[in-house]
Amino acid sequence: MKTPVAHVTNFAIFFNMASGDSEENPQDEQQIISPDQYIKHPLQNKWAMWFFKNDKNKEWTANLKLITAFDTVEDFWGLYNHIQKASKLPSGCDYSLFKDGIQPMWEDEHNKNGGRWLVNLNKNQRQTELDNFWLETLLCLIGEAFEDLTDDICGATINIRGKGDKLGLWTKDARRGDATVKIGQKLKERLKIPVKIAIGFQAHSDTATKAGSTARDRYRV
Amino acid sequence: MTEKGSPARLHAGREIPHRAIADISNLPNDYSTTPGGSIFSTTPGGSRIFYERNFLMQCRNSPLAKTPPRNMAHIPGITTPGDVDIPKENGVVEPKGAKPQKVEGAEEHPQFEMDI
Repeated sequence: MKTPVAHVTNFAIFFNMASGDSEENPQDEQQIISPDQYIKHPLQNKWAMWFFKNDKNKEWTANLKLITAFDTVEDFWGLYNHIQKASKLPSGCDYSLFKDGIQPMWEDEHNKNGGRWLVNLNKNQRQTELDNFWLETLLCLIGEAFEDLTDDICGATINIRGKGDKLGLWTKDARRGDATVKIGQKLKERLKIPVKIAIGFQAHSDTATKAGSTARDRYRV
Repeated sequence: MTEKGSPARLHAGREIPHRAIADISNLPNDYSTTPGGSIFSTTPGGSRIFYERNFLMQCRNSPLAKTPPRNMAHIPGITTPGDVDIPKENGVVEPKGAKPQKVEGAEEHPQFEMDI
């Protein structure tokens, strides 16, 4: 296998040639453009970003809009740099990032046996933590931070609500205990949630049929 | 297979090869992009692509990330200037300076519709 150094050198030679003789002109050397700037870095998965607004005059699905899908690091930032911050969304709105082909709803075939790790935020945290939590979660998804458990991951949502914002990391199978717990531990670590604060995992099937206001936690970390 | 060798061999068989991309020099040579940015080649053998947090953050200011995606939906207040057209959530106090509440029964929200 060629070394990466050789790869970069080839680019440098190419740009040198394109700009003419550079051996005797140091200024030309400085104009060599790093190949980094022209390479989009491919992601393991293609991801779709969704926006939801809770307009009760409309059907639930009519309120759900696909913003765009992307499969490179640069296209992710192109999107992230040009959409409203999560903390600035009106109450009742969500952002979701899911693997392309999975709809951000628990009824989807990929989600229906799954559940979510839930991080509840208090009102102050919308200003102090929410955007950081959401970005960190997005980076975990696109960077495949869950490593060999990446196939267990479906996506994530951030719910902006007057009664308290919620971040959810969705997995595909609530019965996979070990994998689910490891994913929760990783999320908690990456969000730098203090050890003493527990987060819970709820199966979507429990949430759908819950009797009270919240479904029971299947797992906690 | 020997009794001793079997478990290790089975375990090794399940390992998914991966490489963590912490720097441009970690990127395999056989990743390439077309001038328009679409990928035409990926690593053979099904290895997975992982990116370290710091590398992802470094890419934030890439020239390639300075323009919005061409196929991004136009949603006022989200991807284009304006306000999200949404009735206020029950129990939420309308912030000062917010636009007046829509007339009850106004079901049309044309500015939210996407034209694709």
